[in-house]
Amino acid sequence: MATEPQASPTGPATAPSVRQPAAQWATGPAVPVVSVAFALLVGMLFVLASGHDPISAYVDLFKGAFGSPYDITETLIQTIPLILAGLAVAVAFRSGLFNIGAESQLLVGAVAAGAVGARFASLPGPVLFPMVLLSGIGAGAAWGAIAGYLKAARGVNEVITTIMQNYIVVFVMHWLLQNGPMTAPNALGTPASAPIGDGAVLPVIIPNSIVPLTRLHAGIFLAIAAVVVFWFLLWRTSLGYELRAVGLGARAAAQAGINPRTRIVLAMAIAGGFAGLAGMIQVSGVFHRVFDGFSAGYGFDAIAVALLGKNSPIGIVLAALLFGAFARGGTIMQANAGVSAQLVSVIEALVLFVIAAELIVRILAARRRGPKPIEAIT
Amino acid sequence: MTLDQVIGAGVLAATLRLATPILLAALGGVVSERSGVVNIALEGCMLVGAFFGVVAADRTHSVVLALAVAMGAGGILAAIHAVAAIHLRSDQIVSGMALNILALGLTSYLDYQFYGNTGTPADLAGVPDVSLGPIAAIPFVGDVIGNQNAIVWVALALVVVIQAFLFRTVPGLRLRAVGEHPRAADTVGIAVRPTRYWAVLASGLLAALGGAYLSLSVAHSFTDGMTGGRGFIGLAAMIFGRWTPAGALVASLLFGYGTALSFSLQGASIGSVQVPVQLLSTLPYVLTILAVAGFVGRSRPPAADGLPYETEGHA
Repeated sequence: MATEPQASPTGPATAPSVRQPAAQWATGPAVPVVSVAFALLVGMLFVLASGHDPISAYVDLFKGAFGSPYDITETLIQTIPLILAGLAVAVAFRSGLFNIGAESQLLVGAVAAGAVGARFASLPGPVLFPMVLLSGIGAGAAWGAIAGYLKAARGVNEVITTIMQNYIVVFVMHWLLQNGPMTAPNALGTPASAPIGDGAVLPVIIPNSIVPLTRLHAGIFLAIAAVVVFWFLLWRTSLGYELRAVGLGARAAAQAGINPRTRIVLAMAIAGGFAGLAGMIQVSGVFHRVFDGFSAGYGFDAIAVALLGKNSPIGIVLAALLFGAFARGGTIMQANAGVSAQLVSVIEALVLFVIAAELIVRILAARRRGPKPIEAIT
Repeated sequence: MTLDQVIGAGVLAATLRLATPILLAALGGVVSERSGVVNIALEGCMLVGAFFGVVAADRTHSVVLALAVAMGAGGILAAIHAVAAIHLRSDQIVSGMALNILALGLTSYLDYQFYGNTGTPADLAGVPDVSLGPIAAIPFVGDVIGNQNAIVWVALALVVVIQAFLFRTVPGLRLRAVGEHPRAADTVGIAVRPTRYWAVLASGLLAALGGAYLSLSVAHSFTDGMTGGRGFIGLAAMIFGRWTPAGALVASLLFGYGTALSFSLQGASIGSVQVPVQLLSTLPYVLTILAVAGFVGRSRPPAADGLPYETEGHA
């Protein structure tokens, strides 16, 4: 919980940490695969200890996520915000920042999209949709940039700022939706805003004649586009090069003429923009309004998604798909096998924990490889 | 809006009640971070304390055992964090977040397995209130402090004890040295890693006591995620209180007062404008950001906070 020492505004020379992922992680999918396998195994012990059959629980989990075309589309609906929030965490990691605020950046994006979509509901789609899209991204970016600015200008650790921001947004949303300017009469039963205009709605992309009742919406294309933007921005533009340089070592980057301060603000703004887009998509594609308790914790799961995906485009998509499947399959498993859906949170936490304690995995890997002493790796 | 709604005895008594769990988490944070380990798993420690306290109270019908089990659970979670942070040199934020998610998932999972959809039993043994006898009869003062819960007084006593320990004893000085400059501490023969282990363990016990206070003193039940971010408010109180127990007390009281106000002003209005009480709840978080940014005083963490320590020539 440290603010950076004042002496080095460019950030301290920290010990190895996830903030320099490229520098310390062995290449390849070994760590993610091992951590998921370990978590699933420990999860089995939990199921066993609570008197259920772990195999049938996992079969139900899998069936719930992929058992029918409808289930697959529901899994994808969970995956979309996880991808975008995962990008929000990853772009910050790549820039040497830990963004715990994806949750509130997502919510701010959703509130802005919901407010604009409802206020200008009568406008035609070609006008309204871009307005809603940009307000969601813009609001998330502005909210993220605050954390970046406080880090760059005042040396405030972004972890503190983003944790505090998460709670600020929760209470501001209580106010907005319970007895504030966005409160709509008689909506849903939970405090909620008025619905957005038809022009702001992302259409369902699979006809009901093919997959009955599916809700899979065009937001999936926005998510894919965002992954491409993430890749292009970080690895094909000079800004991306500078962000990654700052992420690998702010002092060295500064020596090379890159001002870490402006890049830090930009990185957090871009992160917030990705998360804001996630919130906008949940409004336009799934709920068509904002309500109290809007996010199912996507912004927190996103930390695990980014770390499991090693902050790479493909990795994030695969990790988001895994966690999306957990989210969807978990509810079905609870209904069918009587095993609490919270099992997936336990599994998720174990995955994250193994990644945090990656040294364990690397020590094991080093022993297996034999000759290389541990000192040489760490 | 009346004066009674702002500084009445009811509001002040509620302030004390609401500040207590925040204070206990904040004290845990102070001890851990003074030794150089960031412990954002305090939220998770509170939650396992709240849950396993209820389970033990249900099974044993003994408050003492329930509190012991609650603190033991918090201690175990903190010990895992300690191993990850101190021995495995994990990123302390990632490890802390993982343990928070684990605590939330584990307690919700076990809550469902143990108690299904019916909730925890209604006849739990609870931590008793302490009636101060003649003091309770004094108008106003008695209404504020006359019948507070035992853990409220324990928490206040711990402020004094930990403040004295950190700033008036040799082990306390050593703990702070380990958090400020571990290399120097090591050089003069202070065992850096064991000191940090003890500090993180203590932080887990303190936070878990705060969690048990919520479930066994206030709610007399457990609900999923019932700590609701109080571990994080505790971290905020620690920062706002500049990493000292006394400061954490002031900050916790301030944050507790904000929440007490948001209850007492529910539905109140100034003129024709309804008071947006929910916005009062953002006070701890806004103040903390301002404090860390140096707009309200200047809050500086221990110099080696969050950095793993390596003895020289050893990996």
